[in-house]
Amino acid sequence: MRKTGWAVSSGIESADVKECQRSDSGPVTEPDHEEPVAPGRRLLAVRTLKAGLYTTVAVCVVATVVHVLLVFLHVAPANPLSKRYNPQINAWVYPLFEQNWRLFAPDPDSTNRQILARTAQTDSRGSMHVSPWFDLTAVDNSAVDHNPFPSHTNQNLLRRAWTSYEETHGGDDAAGSERAVMLQKYLSNIAAERVAAHRDGGGTIEFIQLRVFTLPVAAPGTAAGNGPPKPLGTRLLPWWKVTPRGK
Amino acid sequence: MGNEQRPSLPSPAARRDRPADHGTGAVGTARRWLLDRAGALWTLLTGRPVSLYAASVLRIGYGFLYLVFLLREFPHRDEIWGPGSPWTPALAEQLFRQTGWNSILTLSDSRAYFELCYVLALVTSALFMLGWRTRAMSALFAVVVASFHARSIFMTDGGDNLVLLMALYLVLTACGRRWSLDARRARLRAAREGETPQPVSSVLPEQFHRARTTLVTVMHNCGLFVIAAQVCFLYGSAGLYKVQGPTWGGGTALHYALNLELFQPWPAFSHLVDDYTILIAIAGYMTVLLQVAFPFVLFGRLKYPVLALLLSMHIGIAVLLGLPLFSGAMIIADAVFLPDRFYAFLPQLWRRAARRAGMRRRAAGPGPGSGSVPSQARPGASGSKYRTTRGAPEDTTVATGLASDQYRTHR
Repeated sequence: MRKTGWAVSSGIESADVKECQRSDSGPVTEPDHEEPVAPGRRLLAVRTLKAGLYTTVAVCVVATVVHVLLVFLHVAPANPLSKRYNPQINAWVYPLFEQNWRLFAPDPDSTNRQILARTAQTDSRGSMHVSPWFDLTAVDNSAVDHNPFPSHTNQNLLRRAWTSYEETHGGDDAAGSERAVMLQKYLSNIAAERVAAHRDGGGTIEFIQLRVFTLPVAAPGTAAGNGPPKPLGTRLLPWWKVTPRGK
Repeated sequence: MGNEQRPSLPSPAARRDRPADHGTGAVGTARRWLLDRAGALWTLLTGRPVSLYAASVLRIGYGFLYLVFLLREFPHRDEIWGPGSPWTPALAEQLFRQTGWNSILTLSDSRAYFELCYVLALVTSALFMLGWRTRAMSALFAVVVASFHARSIFMTDGGDNLVLLMALYLVLTACGRRWSLDARRARLRAAREGETPQPVSSVLPEQFHRARTTLVTVMHNCGLFVIAAQVCFLYGSAGLYKVQGPTWGGGTALHYALNLELFQPWPAFSHLVDDYTILIAIAGYMTVLLQVAFPFVLFGRLKYPVLALLLSMHIGIAVLLGLPLFSGAMIIADAVFLPDRFYAFLPQLWRRAARRAGMRRRAAGPGPGSGSVPSQARPGASGSKYRTTRGAPEDTTVATGLASDQYRTHR
């Protein structure tokens, strides 16, 4: 390649960098001319400056290498190395550099979720009134339809709330962890707000219940258009109490 | 970015005298080789900030993308980030305590404070895009993006994640040196002070200044390296995870992706594409191959066709799956791998096209507007036009000078 010295100043005088100095933020400090400094002390200062510079450069390089290495281990599938250094990796990566690039992988979802909600409230005579099922997912689907730039509130809000709920709860609807309780609250809020927004008339929702259909995407080759697909599974969630939020 | 900018350093001389000084034994050669390598690495690291254009493209791209995202979600801003979100401020704070996240948005539950933060985010994104006081703005932009991301963590997807990472990394880079208001200001100042020679400074401040410049350069180069590595990891892992999936292997993965109702803004179009089974299989295989191959093609000319294919893939995702934000974030990330001479060539291309368009219009008779104006509409184009016509010494030598001859030879 190229032969170069180790001197810091070697490449710095290039015109490109000089231009950069000026454009860099902050005013350029005018150098002092009449500063009488003893030559010995000046030499010392220059030396300290250089030592400081080399140290900082070294720190930068080490930090870069460490960061890239740890992010790699975080992103890669679990392996002996990432298992062994798991605490160190997590300490570095979380929360800012957390990432997951399983984009439609290992396989894209082969199901669509259809989430419905019904509510219950005591009417004026004191008896419980249960509403018919309201299709929450249909709201999202119709909002995405013919929209070149769909909103996160339609593509991600309910979809990710449900997958996160499933992750933390598993097949059991009793919340087993703090996170599970939080996600149950979140899902209940989403459902209650969406039902309230699409219902004319008022009445505070006291209880809400969700029902989730898992609808298969037909395998390729099977004729489309023979009616809606039969759900692979139905999950009926327990009634949740809705706590009205102070607005 | 990467290796393609290196030729601009004075390497031919060094290469010429290398064969002369061999012959002191294998150990000596090895040692010299090692020193050579270390020296080259040091120069690469501290010599000059690499890929300044690419860094600026990332700045403009992500600033613009985030601005568009914020504006697009304007009707839903309270639902996503505000106190009225179903992910309530209390839930968010509870999660922050568990995860260590933080956000400026949860400092207060008042609606007015939220609106203020939203406006701050808009202004920051716009100024970051324009490159006004870029270093400070990049830090503010990172704070804003991290805050908004953390507040709506259960509504984010891969695109948001990438924008966050890039916003964080861009703080390290000197992303305001090209196509920015900062660059314009520097150019005007240089033009004003141009004739008066810089006073000879005393040793210490001079040294200090140099140290600072070296440090800025090192940080920039490290930041750009991290960005490049990040994009490689992204594609590499996305590809490797896909390899594990039977539907990708079976060539039917895209059939399933095209039939997800939430990612089907144009159902008729999706079904039309879905009917071409062979095409779907080929596109699926291409996706996996491109993603896995991505990190390995970056060091050769093969990267241009691969980047072009990825671009078309992302455009396909944006339209067919209704994910313009995600695709935009990916396309901008890919732009980091285009060399400076490519970007320096763009304004030239633009001007040529504008001139041709102008000529055609003039030939066709007087048009409704003046034909030669469009080239100045874009800040980038007008900026570099200024640069080349003035013949300012700084970057024409590096960028435009190379663009004219080397671009052709490399093609």
